[in-house]
Amino acid sequence: MTQEIQHERILLGRHFLTRRQFMHLTAVGFSAAALAACAPAVAPTGGAAEAPAAAESAAATDVTGGTLVWVGHQEVSGLSPSDAGPTVHWAMISNIHNALLQVDTNNELIPVLAESYEVAPDGLQFTFTLKQGVKFHDGKEFTAADVKYTYEFYSKAENGSTLANNFLGMGEIETPDDYTVVVNMNEVNADFLVNAATTWIVQSEYHAEVGEEVYRTAPIGTGAFKLVEWVPAEYTLLEAFPDHFQGRPRVDFLRQNIVPEPSVRTIALETGEADSATWPLLVEDSLRLRDEGFTVFATLAGSVKHFPLNTQLPQLSDKLVRQALLMAIDRQRIIDELWNGAAEIAHSNLSPANAFYHKADVKQYAYDPEAAKAQLEAAGWVAGADGVREKEGVRLSFTCTTITGDQARRPIAELVQQFLGEVGVEMLLEEAPVASILEALPKGEMDASIFNWTYGSQLSPDASTTLRSDGANNFSRLNNARVDELLDLGRQEIDPEKRRAYYYEIQDIVADEVPFLYLQWDQWLNVHHPRVNGLPETATTLRGDMLYPFGNVMGVQQG
Amino acid sequence: MFNYILSRLLQGVLVIFLISVATFVIMRFMPGDPVRLLMGDGQIQLTDAQMQAIRAKWGLDRPAHEQYLLWAGNLLRGDFGESLIRRGVPVRNMIFEALPVSGQLNVLALVVALAVALPVGILAGVKRNSLFDNLATVGATAGAALPNFWFGLMGIIVFALVLRWLPPFGLRSWQGWVLPVAVLAAEQMAIFARVMRGATIETLTQDYVRTATAKGLTPRTVVLRHAVRNALLPVVTVIGFRIAFLFSGTIVVETVFALPGIGRLFVDSIFRLDYQVVQSIVVLLAVLVVLANLATDLLYAFVDPRIRIE
Repeated sequence: MTQEIQHERILLGRHFLTRRQFMHLTAVGFSAAALAACAPAVAPTGGAAEAPAAAESAAATDVTGGTLVWVGHQEVSGLSPSDAGPTVHWAMISNIHNALLQVDTNNELIPVLAESYEVAPDGLQFTFTLKQGVKFHDGKEFTAADVKYTYEFYSKAENGSTLANNFLGMGEIETPDDYTVVVNMNEVNADFLVNAATTWIVQSEYHAEVGEEVYRTAPIGTGAFKLVEWVPAEYTLLEAFPDHFQGRPRVDFLRQNIVPEPSVRTIALETGEADSATWPLLVEDSLRLRDEGFTVFATLAGSVKHFPLNTQLPQLSDKLVRQALLMAIDRQRIIDELWNGAAEIAHSNLSPANAFYHKADVKQYAYDPEAAKAQLEAAGWVAGADGVREKEGVRLSFTCTTITGDQARRPIAELVQQFLGEVGVEMLLEEAPVASILEALPKGEMDASIFNWTYGSQLSPDASTTLRSDGANNFSRLNNARVDELLDLGRQEIDPEKRRAYYYEIQDIVADEVPFLYLQWDQWLNVHHPRVNGLPETATTLRGDMLYPFGNVMGVQQG
Repeated sequence: MFNYILSRLLQGVLVIFLISVATFVIMRFMPGDPVRLLMGDGQIQLTDAQMQAIRAKWGLDRPAHEQYLLWAGNLLRGDFGESLIRRGVPVRNMIFEALPVSGQLNVLALVVALAVALPVGILAGVKRNSLFDNLATVGATAGAALPNFWFGLMGIIVFALVLRWLPPFGLRSWQGWVLPVAVLAAEQMAIFARVMRGATIETLTQDYVRTATAKGLTPRTVVLRHAVRNALLPVVTVIGFRIAFLFSGTIVVETVFALPGIGRLFVDSIFRLDYQVVQSIVVLLAVLVVLANLATDLLYAFVDPRIRIE
């Protein structure tokens, strides 16, 4: 591990949080007008950080012209707000559209299409005052009707919307005038601002006329760029929108090329064919490019790299066994040898990137194979004839199904197989496509896997879909009545201090139960070519891809 | 001749029908749910009920046989249906955007490969065990043995990164075609040259070649007029096999060079469980392979008058 990485890890360990940031994240209502910069947490290193421009400010006036070129790893299948899940989609959709509120590179909620907003003390009403004079790409003016339509359409899963869960508890929306939106809630949803008010707004008359399926191929938003050409598997080309309410973007065009092969994406940056990779390059390539003068943002991911375990299997149902498995794994060695040091050891479900809700002093399991053996012995698991432990005729053996072609995480599974073997636990390895794994795990049709998933994000500590006993993504099949109760309490509590207590307790339970083997929180490394300027000086972003919605403030040095 | 073609076509229809059923069944037996793939690594959160609503919206909640009949019925009318993943985009458009990329790429590679391989193979066959033959053999073995993937990346490193002569990916200029065509051609060249050499050697031992030589024809005329034409037969067979690749694409080269061809579309669609796209591509390919095989058989008769089609 190099000194730089160590240094960066130390920086990452410090998670500053201003009172303002804290207020924003916890959905306490107040008018969000002036926003000061918060304390820096991670500074970009190397490269061209000499041109400071806060990403959240209005677009800079110094137009550089030219084309800002990004490279992504997989096709852009659609451009509607509902398609914004994958990073490569997000990077384009967020530049075509704006939302009432947006999460900036320092995880603050900033008003964009909203001038200000208020939350009723009981959390059952949100009032947004909208900016005036904002134009859509087709020239139509943005009004409250567009917000009402967008929220009503995307809150319904029967419309095929992937965003339905964000609008949990939403009731009637009133539009007393063109620039006021009142959202009434049927029940409190403490995450409404971060989840729902950040939904990209569509031109409602156009969307209603053409429908979602056409809209996603030809979107019309208020964003700084408008769509010129979209060839899903090859590129998406956007053009500067001169009438954007924050001023025209600094570049003339924004283009994302799709290049599946990671080493070719790296070469594209090196040859100057591309200015940034929206999907991270290989860690070793990112670190090498940083040494060559590229600007690299290293931010801690909200998702945890983990082995989900089927906790209903007889050999994995005892928490003492699961704790012992965690003790048997040398997680620092995995990070150093297989991840170039660009990660932090995880201690529960919620990433330290969520500075307010993350609990640091939870029960921890240091690497100690002897202690692991002793704990397994004590729990009644003794070595059988083939060296694998047994108890009452059940072998301590399970199969980990890795994602087909996952060259990054497969080696981790292989190393862990050795670690577990040393304490008499057998982990077999298989491969399957990711679609199969995600479906089989919650049904208990697979024993284990390894991937990254979000159990409460940097913005919202809610983990109802992953830790609730009836969660659609309860991959480890955790069935803990107290966790269920706490998740419900947390979602309906708007007092941040009280709310935090619930999520602290959840993290303690997860650290005690070890429903999945949490390995590490990855650093998300986003590389920008030295000729790109206007990048923020600091970013604590949820992931480095949170930089990409701000294509309008980035410029390209010509010549 | 007409009856032969007709019966072959009827057999082809049966084959295509069976393939369409088999593909449908295999895709539905593949475990996994395309709706779950919408969730990224958990940034998108959906409850079971919400996922069920999306499945219903996409028509995935209908019984399998109903889904098959709907799709097959539309297909007979020339409608390939809509993609699940690129909803709003007809599958037909997706296929006909991707096909020309793979088609042009493979035709160019085939032409380049034949232009180099045929003369080399003939010469190596005629001058058997000469220095030229040995060099050609080494070259062909290397060409066939080196994986496309490695060859492509090395080409990008040398010509795009070090020399800066060619772009590292894409087909935005004619330079973009050079590396992918070269990589694809190198592999085929090796095969064609080996086959051509073997066939040349074999024909040169035939009686009619000895007769031609005895007639006093120049060696050049003997080889070009009498030997080569007959030696081409096995090469035509190999080319016939390659026709399928023209349309099935070449997944490795398309991935390395970021080309939006049919091979990438096909493999991506399998991983994304985009049922309609996979099924439609397979059926289309089946049609093309059936036709290509028929064309190859007819071409035999043309190249070798001893073969009579009845």
